[in-house]
Amino acid sequence: MSRIVRTTVLAVLGALWLLPVYLLFVNAAKAPETFTSKESWMPTDFSLFANMAEAVRLSGLAESAASTLLYAVVSPAIAVVVGAAAGFAIVALRLRHGFAWFVAIFGGTVFPLQMILLPLFDAYSRVGLFDSRLGMIVVYTAISIPFSAFVMRNFFTGIAHSVFEAAVLDGASTWRIFYRVYLPMASSALVAVFILQATFIWNDFLLGLVLSQSDTVRPIVTSLAGMQSTYGGAQMSTVLAGGLLVSLPTVVLFLFTQQFFARGLALGQY
Amino acid sequence: MTSDQTTLKRPEERLRRSSGPDQTTPTRRGDQYRWSALGFIAPGVLLVAVLLYLPLLWTTFLSLTEYNGLGDPEWVGFENYVEMLDDPAFLGSVLNTLLWVAGTLLVPVGIGLGVALLTWNLKGGIWLRLPFLIPYALSGIGVGVIWSFILSGDGALDQALAAFGVDDTPRWLVDAPLNTVVMILATAWQGVGVNALLFTIGLQSIPKEPLEAARVDGANGLRLFRSILWPMLRPLTAVVVGLSIVASLKTFDIVQGMTKGGPGRASETLALTMYKETFVNSEYGLGSAIAVFLTVVTLVASILYLRRQLSTKHGV
Repeated sequence: MSRIVRTTVLAVLGALWLLPVYLLFVNAAKAPETFTSKESWMPTDFSLFANMAEAVRLSGLAESAASTLLYAVVSPAIAVVVGAAAGFAIVALRLRHGFAWFVAIFGGTVFPLQMILLPLFDAYSRVGLFDSRLGMIVVYTAISIPFSAFVMRNFFTGIAHSVFEAAVLDGASTWRIFYRVYLPMASSALVAVFILQATFIWNDFLLGLVLSQSDTVRPIVTSLAGMQSTYGGAQMSTVLAGGLLVSLPTVVLFLFTQQFFARGLALGQY
Repeated sequence: MTSDQTTLKRPEERLRRSSGPDQTTPTRRGDQYRWSALGFIAPGVLLVAVLLYLPLLWTTFLSLTEYNGLGDPEWVGFENYVEMLDDPAFLGSVLNTLLWVAGTLLVPVGIGLGVALLTWNLKGGIWLRLPFLIPYALSGIGVGVIWSFILSGDGALDQALAAFGVDDTPRWLVDAPLNTVVMILATAWQGVGVNALLFTIGLQSIPKEPLEAARVDGANGLRLFRSILWPMLRPLTAVVVGLSIVASLKTFDIVQGMTKGGPGRASETLALTMYKETFVNSEYGLGSAIAVFLTVVTLVASILYLRRQLSTKHGV
């Protein structure tokens, strides 16, 4: 096919793809007084920021956002280091039955979340972790470890073992070799995994739905879902503004870190 | 890593020279770090074991009991599974889930491959791919908020159709199975970009020589695709298809966000049925049985691509 035909097809399809984004912006920007569900395509006014502020006020999004940011930073940060340590043990320290250990960790990711929801809910309620930030951080960390271990093991396999042996000759302890040699070498993979997992956690709905209930602990997407089912009609523009607000961080992060995403995806064949 | 191959031997030789004759067979060296290695792997293993495997075993156990969260679980054998298979709502849920699997394979994977092929070696291809990537990082709920708005009665889609003279539109999110189909399309809107990205990575890694040779021989367009590109993309396609199947089996967020499985239970997926039985009806045993069923199906589907994933030495 000629370049012109290909470009045209892609441009038309791309424009079609952007229509929902256009509709979201136009209608999220309408003041509740001018908003009507009968006229969705025409912009009327620009009250986007007022609507966002109203969305934040209505459903405690600000507190949710702060908690979610905490989860989305702390959990993947712990998970990449824990995953890297596992990869280091298997590849560099040549842990006996390393592959079996690896499969054991990686296996944690292959079954659906439904399989762990109820016991987690039950156990969290009993030990006081239900509806707590600590509880959310712990579960998000555990969920992020298998993929992290998977990518980091793959990455470390690409590092010649002589690097490790040379460091041993220099008298470095295994811990020192891990955090002074292996972690720095893996920084790009660590960042890629971190970004993928942070996005996943920011977008999580199900764990937040089951394991939390207060505005201060509840992750932001779960709060948005609650807002969507509570408010409608004239407040639709507020809900849309809330949706836009909640979605912006991950969309922007993703667009700016595409190469990391691509790299992370390729590293994990994910 | 090829450049490292030449230096690989040297530190080992040095080690041998410095530390005597009986130190350096590989297995012995592995043993030397045994405790240290266990220490490094312990945090990951412990967290995964306590938070993922223990609950998994507990759910499997609960699926064989009658339990509502109060008192103790009461052993009932396979009663929950029998009840599950007898329930018309469960069967409807299985059918919807199959529809999700088929739909997500056809639309986002198909269009994703199309976009990757169209942008391949095209000037400005990165920019033309961008519109498809924007929705990728949205949450399922975010996608649901946008599309519920567009698909509502007299909403944006109905208005657009009315402008073309189509007035008798269906109730997109109410009529089953149409509601499942439009939700699949909403998911496709989100998923095309990442599939296009993956296929692009695959296309870029195809070696140039056979392509040039085929071009010299006059192959292009469909023939080039059939004889060169498709066979070379096949391993990657297996991964994309496997991921797509597994993800669609777990479909939850978007349905919960758009129809809550309704009207009635018409658009429920397995993940949703499990959630409702467990957390709405407090039928812990039945909910667990559905979770086990979903897991078995997912595992069978995963084998397709996991085998490949696990045997991959290292990526890129």
